[in-house]
Amino acid sequence: MASELQPPSDRKRVKVYELKENDWFDRGTGFCTGQILNDEPRIFVESEDTPDRVLLETKISKDGGYQKQQDTLIVWTEPNQTDMALSFQEAEGCALIWNFVNSVQQHLLNMAAGDDALSEDLESMHPITLPAPELVNLPDIDHLMRAASMAQTGRDALSKCVIRDEYIQKLLPLVTVAEDLESLSDLHRLCNIMKSLILLNDTTIIETVVTDSVILGVVGALEYDPEFPTHKANHRLYLSDKSRFKEVVPIRDQSIRRKIRYTWRLQYLKDVVLARILDDPTFSVLNSMIFYNQVDIVNHIQSDASFLKELFSVFDPRSADAKRKEDAVQFLHQCASIAKNLQGPERATLYANLINNGLFAVIAFAIKHPNPAIRTTGIDILVALLDHDPIMMRSYMLKAVNEKKTPLTDTLIDLLHTEVDLGVKNQLADAIKVLLDPQVPIQAAMARAGPEAAKVRPNMLPDAFVQNHFDESSRRLFAPLKRLEDQSNLHGLTFQAVALYSHLVDILTFFVRQHLYRCRNVIQNERLAAHITQLLRVPQKHLKLTALKFFRTLLSLQDTFYQALMTHNDTFGLILDIVYETMPRDNLLNSACLELFEFIKREHIKPITLHVVGKYGDKLRNITYVDTFQGLILHYEQLQGYSEEADSTLYSQEEATPVLKMPPSGRWQGVKEMDPAEEEYFNTSDDEEEWQQDNQTTGTLISKVPNGAASPSVKSLVDYPDDDEEDADAMDTKPEPEGDTKQQKPDDTSNEDAPADPVPEQPSTPVSQVVQTPPERLSEKRRREEEDDDELVKLTSGPKRRSSTSSSTGSAGFLRKKRSGSIGSVSLGDKAASSQGTPGMANAAPKRIAINLSSSVKVAEPRDTPPNTVTNAAGKESEKENQKSGDSGEG
Amino acid sequence: MSDLDRAIAQLRACRLIPEAQVRELCYKARELLIEEGNVVCVDAPVTICGDIHGQFHDLMELFRVGGDVPDTNYLFMGDFVDRGFYSLESFLLLLCLKVRYPDRITLIRGNHESRQITTVYGFYDECIRKYGSANVWRYCCEVFDYLALGALVLGASSDLESSGPSYNDTTQSTMSTEDGELETEVLNSKGEVLMKTYKQRPRSSLDNGSTSPPRTQSQTSMRTGAPGTGASGGGGSNNSSRTGAVLCVHGGLSPLIDTVDKIRLIDRKQEVPHEGAMCDLLWSDPDEIDGWGLSPRGAGFLFGADIVKGFNYKNDLSLIARAHQLVMEGYKEMFDGGIVTVWSAPNYCYRCGNVAAILELGEDTSNGGTVTRSNGDYNRSNGILTGTVNKQTLRSPGRRYRVFEAAAQDTRGMPAKKPVADYFL
Repeated sequence: MASELQPPSDRKRVKVYELKENDWFDRGTGFCTGQILNDEPRIFVESEDTPDRVLLETKISKDGGYQKQQDTLIVWTEPNQTDMALSFQEAEGCALIWNFVNSVQQHLLNMAAGDDALSEDLESMHPITLPAPELVNLPDIDHLMRAASMAQTGRDALSKCVIRDEYIQKLLPLVTVAEDLESLSDLHRLCNIMKSLILLNDTTIIETVVTDSVILGVVGALEYDPEFPTHKANHRLYLSDKSRFKEVVPIRDQSIRRKIRYTWRLQYLKDVVLARILDDPTFSVLNSMIFYNQVDIVNHIQSDASFLKELFSVFDPRSADAKRKEDAVQFLHQCASIAKNLQGPERATLYANLINNGLFAVIAFAIKHPNPAIRTTGIDILVALLDHDPIMMRSYMLKAVNEKKTPLTDTLIDLLHTEVDLGVKNQLADAIKVLLDPQVPIQAAMARAGPEAAKVRPNMLPDAFVQNHFDESSRRLFAPLKRLEDQSNLHGLTFQAVALYSHLVDILTFFVRQHLYRCRNVIQNERLAAHITQLLRVPQKHLKLTALKFFRTLLSLQDTFYQALMTHNDTFGLILDIVYETMPRDNLLNSACLELFEFIKREHIKPITLHVVGKYGDKLRNITYVDTFQGLILHYEQLQGYSEEADSTLYSQEEATPVLKMPPSGRWQGVKEMDPAEEEYFNTSDDEEEWQQDNQTTGTLISKVPNGAASPSVKSLVDYPDDDEEDADAMDTKPEPEGDTKQQKPDDTSNEDAPADPVPEQPSTPVSQVVQTPPERLSEKRRREEEDDDELVKLTSGPKRRSSTSSSTGSAGFLRKKRSGSIGSVSLGDKAASSQGTPGMANAAPKRIAINLSSSVKVAEPRDTPPNTVTNAAGKESEKENQKSGDSGEG
Repeated sequence: MSDLDRAIAQLRACRLIPEAQVRELCYKARELLIEEGNVVCVDAPVTICGDIHGQFHDLMELFRVGGDVPDTNYLFMGDFVDRGFYSLESFLLLLCLKVRYPDRITLIRGNHESRQITTVYGFYDECIRKYGSANVWRYCCEVFDYLALGALVLGASSDLESSGPSYNDTTQSTMSTEDGELETEVLNSKGEVLMKTYKQRPRSSLDNGSTSPPRTQSQTSMRTGAPGTGASGGGGSNNSSRTGAVLCVHGGLSPLIDTVDKIRLIDRKQEVPHEGAMCDLLWSDPDEIDGWGLSPRGAGFLFGADIVKGFNYKNDLSLIARAHQLVMEGYKEMFDGGIVTVWSAPNYCYRCGNVAAILELGEDTSNGGTVTRSNGDYNRSNGILTGTVNKQTLRSPGRRYRVFEAAAQDTRGMPAKKPVADYFL
């Protein structure tokens, strides 16, 4: 045999692992070669440190379930049932050894088929002869099989014998006989025998079992499980139901048809017939058989151009066969779910192929279908594509926009607005989130679009275009939020509306978190923050929570622009209202509010502390059941104290402040300049009762500031061109007419100068914003002067911000996570408790290996690994995002 | 019969309810759960249960052994789903019961009540398989986000009324009952006593000094052995356990959480994070180490006896009850009874061969059922002071473990996943 196998003689650096008590034990690092010794192909690893020491010498056997995982791992089971793994330093080395193993196995399989010398060897060692397949012999057969199954050699010999004698086929008639005789004991024995045979874990035997002539007999026997003596399953009924196979377009290749049938039976065996009794090796053998069949099937389908053509022609609008269209959607859906298990490149080819044939049109058809089930299926296909490569999908979408076609996003957005099925709505929201994800850099999109890239690349889209598209889509998407301003009463919201709002706020939260700047335009122009502030007052608590989460996210960004939005919309007043409403009780809303203030306290977010304590000090003082608010007040007082003493140890931005008697930062100086008219302006444009109280509280704040008595409000400290309108709307009380037109009327700006002036947040406003008002306003000028100041702010919060831009919300990252989840559909068989496992290489290894067992799922000794260890890159990402969402623990 | 009662009946028969009903159920549950604190206060008597993991028939067995809802007040410590083949039926039944009897059943979150984990360990697939789409999975995951993170059992009795005469070792038990109070009792599913441990009255333990072990055992059956280390540890009765408050949490403690009140400052409505306090509460494990250690699970921490003792003392807890780890005996006390693992999935994954247990905490009637803590409205962050006053009089709760095995084969069908209805490929 050696002649045709070329063992790789290059030494490849590798780590050897052995699975001991469910822990991957590091046997050492060494160099790996393939060898053929005495006509036996072997993998050989000699130690790196002491070249004489052999770390591993193993014969490559026919079974052993060799698997290549990721690019650098080979995992298999030794004949003595030990699980082993080789972790290569380089993918190339791994590939080399893997090719060797593969060719050896191929070779062995061929030889096994020919019943050659090798198998004779085995038999000569442990000859097994089974009694004649007759009812009277069943006890003996059962006993013998059990005994033989104990050891690997016995199993091998038994498998050989069963295959050679076609013993299964010979046993089958006995099932019918025993059934006719109503001999339950015989049937139970037959069941046990079949179980033993399948658990021999021999691919050939399992392949035999699922063939047409054998399957019904085998599952027939398995219907009589002695563990459930009073039950009889109806496997035969299920498996003989031919109508379960739906054929949208006839598959002509008989071998593929057969494969489809066998795969279905394998799945049934795995999930139903054998679900309880499967051991790990058999489970993984079944899984890999299913997997390889599916690869073949899918490859066949996508290589058959005429088949695809026929398949997609089903959707021809002229065709009236609705049922067939639905089936075709289901068919494609199944293709997509199978594709999830394929390796990256294969999956990419399949999707590209389907897309070229018109998959998008199918999705568009499905998501508009009157039947929610089909809509769900359609979106599932879309989500599969998004999971596969969101960047590619975005590039397709942008291409459509560029070509002035209606992009998929618009369709999805419209559907989201009108969809009544809440499940579908949920999916739509997730899909939109990924498609519009402002974070994805477009250049990367171009580079990654795969074979399609060439077509898209020429229209390299400038960032402005992307921004523009994002703005357009967002405007469309968030339009319902904007319409909230006409809603005077938020108590009559329909269930649908509530669901829609919470999705929209959730999406916006995700966007804000993904990209600090991208959403500013839309948030500002559409006055979204103000509208979301309104939602803090809806009766639906979960919607309140969603809105709260939005503001919590804004806070965590530590960005002056967003801080301004919050200080300006009485956001904190409303949040404090929630605290008051829920105060004696200890519930989710209350905790969420507390967490938010706790965050302000812990992070020492100065502008917010000043605003909150300054404006709502009395309210805070009345909340005594937790010390969070006292802490805030204390912090505030320290800040005040500092500014009077001009402590120079604080941030440089303060040091730059020339006027000591100011509140902490120079940008606050505008307060003093406010005139009574303006005070009036702000007063009227705000909520009445809120305002009364605020005035008083402000009084207390300002009293600490010289001249403070004259200045009416802290609120006015931070101004924004459109904020006043927001206030008016948000409070849904006495809207101030001038407010709405302010941005258009230049004369208004004079009114605004003072309040706008102290706003350090302004410089971060995108320039496009500014150009809208032709005459340069005084405030603009000042803004520029203050840019330095703002830069410092940026610097101090720089690192945080960077990390937060690359993060996403917990629920939002889910699409991505789902993919990573399916990669690692494995629990590493790990012991339950008391592991003294030391961290480090030995410990890291099992996790890495656990990633890869996907097709050989080991559900054995159940021990969980959290996804961040199960997954790789995606996990890391989500880890980061959770850092943000889970920051409750930092203090 | 209301729709809800009908749904309960249907689920008890292990039959699923329609998707629309699941959605409605989940929304109702959400409204209910949003009102619960991160740490729910539960009054004794209560029966504490650990992981269920979709083993529906064993859940029914649990109800048979522990009593039915609403007759028995239950507290489930998470991990309702994944692994077993009936995650949906199990979780939906529990959720229905929660909505129907909100005061008689408490559900807190386990690490498996998470989107990421359920996509890996089976619940997601089960939803797809049984409902044809991920919608039901989404609804359930939404509910997961609202589940409380822990519970505080108040007013648990410090000793037990003996359950029965079935112990044989009369001499020892007579002595024990004279000298001490019945502290723990282990019962099998038929209600027969397997084992008892006593603790001595504080006075007598002072008198005897170190000559007599603080806990004595009388064992009537060796079947379960002596679980945990509490009995053999012998190092004085746990001095932190006086008030009878029991903290229940799925995983364990967090280095970021030094008081129970800190848990209340978490915004829990989120996917279980990969780190931080919320993550730790759901992922950590106690271990025979000093201080904190890295968890081999890759999330949460390991924590030692000193941590548990310190935490219990500081928060005036007598016991931490948690789940999260398979224990072959169904329960395992550690660190002088300062923490217990309760595991309620017998023959886990249909093959681990373990027994399961539930923990019953009786009501303390001796103090007129005095509750030393209240739900946030009184002196919340000041538990220590109130505790000190009572330290002389209050003792750790009497614990009754009921151990049970997997449901008998004939009470359940053959556990199996649902096969696909149609196939194209």
